[in-house]
Amino acid sequence: MKGVIRLEALTRSYGATTAVDGVDLTVRAGELVTLVGPSGSGKSTILRLIAGLDRPDSGRVLVDGADVAGMPPHRRAVAMVFQDYALFPHLTVLGNLTFGPRVRRVRRAEADRRARQAAQRLGIADLLDRYPDQMSGGQRQRVALARALLRDPSVYLLDEPLASLDAPLRFATRADLLTLHRELRTTAIHVTHDQHEAMTLGDRVVVLAEGRIRQVGAPQQVYDEPADTFVAGFLGSPPMNLVPGGGVLGGDATLTVGVRPEDLTLDEAGTVTATVEAIEALGSEAVLLTRCPDGTRLTVRTGPRPGVAPGDEVRLRADRLHRFEAATGRRR
Amino acid sequence: MTRRPRPELTGWAFLAPYAVAVALLVAVPALLNVGYAVTDHTGLTRDPQFVGLANVRRMLDDRFLLDSLEASLAHVALAVPVRFVAAVGLGLLLAAPRPGGRWFRTAVYLPTVIPDVALAVLFLWVLNPLYGPLNQFLGLFGHAGYNWLADPTTARLAVVLMLAFPIGEGFVVVLAARRLLDGRLYEAAALEGCGPFGQLRRLTLPLLAPVLVLLAVRDIILTLQVNFVPAYVLTDGRPANATLYLPVYIFDQVFEFSGFAYGSLVTILLMLITTVIIIGLLLGVRRWRVLR
Repeated sequence: MKGVIRLEALTRSYGATTAVDGVDLTVRAGELVTLVGPSGSGKSTILRLIAGLDRPDSGRVLVDGADVAGMPPHRRAVAMVFQDYALFPHLTVLGNLTFGPRVRRVRRAEADRRARQAAQRLGIADLLDRYPDQMSGGQRQRVALARALLRDPSVYLLDEPLASLDAPLRFATRADLLTLHRELRTTAIHVTHDQHEAMTLGDRVVVLAEGRIRQVGAPQQVYDEPADTFVAGFLGSPPMNLVPGGGVLGGDATLTVGVRPEDLTLDEAGTVTATVEAIEALGSEAVLLTRCPDGTRLTVRTGPRPGVAPGDEVRLRADRLHRFEAATGRRR
Repeated sequence: MTRRPRPELTGWAFLAPYAVAVALLVAVPALLNVGYAVTDHTGLTRDPQFVGLANVRRMLDDRFLLDSLEASLAHVALAVPVRFVAAVGLGLLLAAPRPGGRWFRTAVYLPTVIPDVALAVLFLWVLNPLYGPLNQFLGLFGHAGYNWLADPTTARLAVVLMLAFPIGEGFVVVLAARRLLDGRLYEAAALEGCGPFGQLRRLTLPLLAPVLVLLAVRDIILTLQVNFVPAYVLTDGRPANATLYLPVYIFDQVFEFSGFAYGSLVTILLMLITTVIIIGLLLGVRRWRVLR
């Protein structure tokens, strides 16, 4: 099966900033991998290096075992969906979809047939005469996907494909993307800064910061066992409580101890005492912002209507503690 | 209690200075011009008499006007494409940031800053058959050179050559418009295997089409008019009326032959010709979706 991507010690700097710093990663054929990280973590640069839109300073990109250095983008059998879709504004949907086939000298009738097929698949068959500025964001996004589909690539590169959509549409499109990937079973690398997307969209998630990979794994595994304090703080909302030295959670100065907000429970027999400072009622759940006598702030996730008010003193039970080296931030 | 001015009045008030100037300096003279065209006004006397279509009848028999028309149309047919290709080509080549780019951009713009008359005098030297650099350059290839301004064909080419340099305005517009185009479109095209020429043909030119059409329209208007200075300084309409462009002919009629009324009529003809060419151009590019 084709579509295996291997990155070896991939490095790219722009002036003094190192955008990608020695990244090693293997993406298996047919896998959907999500690169997630804050802005400036190098995730989009990695996509561009794979696509051939940018050249690495050092390191290699291998597609199906072959080094693609020096290979122009269109030879690499990759299709890219850009964040703002990059549709050609002077062409109709049909013109946008047949652009690639026509450049590759496919006969017009055949190019039209393939374009209509792809449009059918993504439910935009009735939009073929529209121009990009006559469509909604969701429709444009489908056109961009259809254009990628027509490439029939070994790898799909999706650069924040959902970032420009509003929340309900993003939710629906996320599901559509998963369905599409399940049908196609083509390797896909998806970039996002949204941790919800990272958790839900992807067989594996790659957490990046400052151009380096912090952790690779199945989303739940990365969530349950974050490799360091950065990953612990980045994935999960509200983020994990991290207490340097352990403090109220117990431990010593060589440790930073973490606990997820949902692993803190209101419990009369709990060992941690804290005062409720604020309550965020989110409907299906509530988040308590509390402060311990030593000043440590702890975020607690509870069911809706927790039955406490700001100013109340509560006792908390902490389960599933995470221990990290204080010096390096690594998981112990 | 203070009364607030009505918003539409505010708008008109802001427009008024411009509207007054346009009326006094453009609209009224243009209407007067139409009026003069049906008189025997010489520009010297005070009481022009109405002569009906006498000037039009004169125009139909005017062999010099035919020469002038031919010269003007030939000039537009040659100068507009040359200037257009130069401005667009250089604009696109120099749009990308590259070392020394600003010096090249300055060099392209520089001739535009030079006054027309100065540029024309400079070209008198460039085109000089004995010591001019153009003939000396041709001499490097063993060519004897031309007596540029003495032969009808080369005289027309000489004027076009001179006007191929002051292209700075079109150049700057193309430069700015190209820089506004989204780089991702080019990346998307590159991913599809579209090379530099494919990108020029399939992306850059269609995306710039509205700007290019505007530039072409503007250059047609300009080219029909600005050849006055080079023609006047270089050739004075000669040889054999080869550079007797319409503006030169109008000037001769109005100020040299005291034919103010007839000159006015030729002005109207010049405007009509300009209009026809531009309508033709716009009809030709209708399918480009540039006039939405």
